[in-house]
Amino acid sequence: MAFDLKAATRRPPSPVRVFVKRYDPVSGRVWWQAYTIKTYKGMTVLDALLSIKSDVDHTLTFRYSCRMGVCGSCGVVVNGTPKLACQTQIAEAASPASPELRVEPLYNFKVVRDLTTDFTEFFEKHRFIRPHTIRSDLIEREKPTLEYSQSPGELSEYYQYSLCIMCGLCDSACPVYASDTSFLGPQALTQAYRYLADTRDEGWILRLKELDSDGSPFKCHFAASCSAVCPKSVDPAGAVQRLRSSLLKYKLRIYRKKKVSQVVPPMKEAKPIVPLPPEATLIEGVDIKKLEEEPPQIPVEKLLY
Amino acid sequence: MSVKDRFLGRMLDNRMGLKASVSSWAVRVPNNPERLAFILHRLTGILLVGFITLHIISTNTPARAGWEAWVEEVERLGGVNIVSLLFFIAMGALAFHSINGIRLLLVEFLALGIGRPEKPKPPYIPPSFKGFQRNLLYIAFALSIIVWIAMGYVIFLMG
Ligand code: SF4
Ligand code: FES
Repeated sequence: MAFDLKAATRRPPSPVRVFVKRYDPVSGRVWWQAYTIKTYKGMTVLDALLSIKSDVDHTLTFRYSCRMGVCGSCGVVVNGTPKLACQTQIAEAASPASPELRVEPLYNFKVVRDLTTDFTEFFEKHRFIRPHTIRSDLIEREKPTLEYSQSPGELSEYYQYSLCIMCGLCDSACPVYASDTSFLGPQALTQAYRYLADTRDEGWILRLKELDSDGSPFKCHFAASCSAVCPKSVDPAGAVQRLRSSLLKYKLRIYRKKKVSQVVPPMKEAKPIVPLPPEATLIEGVDIKKLEEEPPQIPVEKLLY
Repeated sequence: MSVKDRFLGRMLDNRMGLKASVSSWAVRVPNNPERLAFILHRLTGILLVGFITLHIISTNTPARAGWEAWVEEVERLGGVNIVSLLFFIAMGALAFHSINGIRLLLVEFLALGIGRPEKPKPPYIPPSFKGFQRNLLYIAFALSIIVWIAMGYVIFLMG
């Protein structure tokens, strides 16, 4: 999600009316409740909800954990846009012209109570795409000897997609996910592509077969709202298009995995030490041979004080 | 797939349903003309299904009522009246749906114009929004309006 520094560092209007869509599972009642809160500079929507919970209404229910956009548990819909509550400044969402916030539970998720949503389906779908590398060298898996080789270029093919914090905002904004319960959703498909593009993964035939029989990649219609709302800039829309074109290549039998990483072979012998250039001058009294054999030990006390 | 069966009967669901795919106000997403194109594509698709049905019935006229009736019907298309107006709307839908459809084929099946994956940096604009599929989108919008105006000229002024 594009970040607007100016809007985020403004002083928010005070007081602000916060309208929260609430749901009581016992009576089944759904209603909008209005709270008025005083704001300060730098206050986030999560701070506002916390101040309501501590000062006004302790029955308000919501979920949060890290308060800094890392855990992905505080997704809510603010003024109609899916956002992380802890990452959204009130100054961004409310303007002096309309000092109001409408906070709703995430769209396209089951509501447990008030702003808390049920992520069971979300995680089931994530599990369905096998979010782990699949290898055939089982002995190496059980007793790893060394790391798998991977170049920085190969890493950058999937690094961006591995930043996902599973907040569910993309699924909440997706118009296809909204009307089709069998669609895996942008998050799961992005992760499917992330493992497909990883050179350490060997299970590409299995992955593509499963995705093909499920049909989800072809249900995406590139509304790209997922990329627009993603707080970690994961770009699910781009990943799903890439996944779909890989799947199409697979169907045409022209898909080839570029490379499968193997374990880096252990170094046979120590590499020779690069000799000093002839023009290098040494400090007097330093014996290089001796230093190489016995590297100087710096006492820890010296480092501390 | 087990995921499917388990979640079909959902009662307390906050799903937007079809609303999200036919209304651009159902979810407000900034910086997202692709969603507008998606919604227009869907609406024009529904329009075209209706149009093609009526079109098949209308081109069946010679078989049903003879060639005189067909000539009469074609003549009704010229000038400004309700039939030609509906025809004009259908042609607009056809223009947008076909031009945007070509763009979608390029982006969805060949993964063209969506940039390369990158390390996110401020101001965090996803690569697929920086790629040239955005320009393709604007070109598709502009072209379909131009084609629509040209069709309007043909239908209303030349007919
Ligand atoms: S892709 Fe982005 S919006 Fe979707 S779950 Fe991951 S971090 Fe959240
Ligand atoms: S509380 Fe962890 S992401 Fe908002």
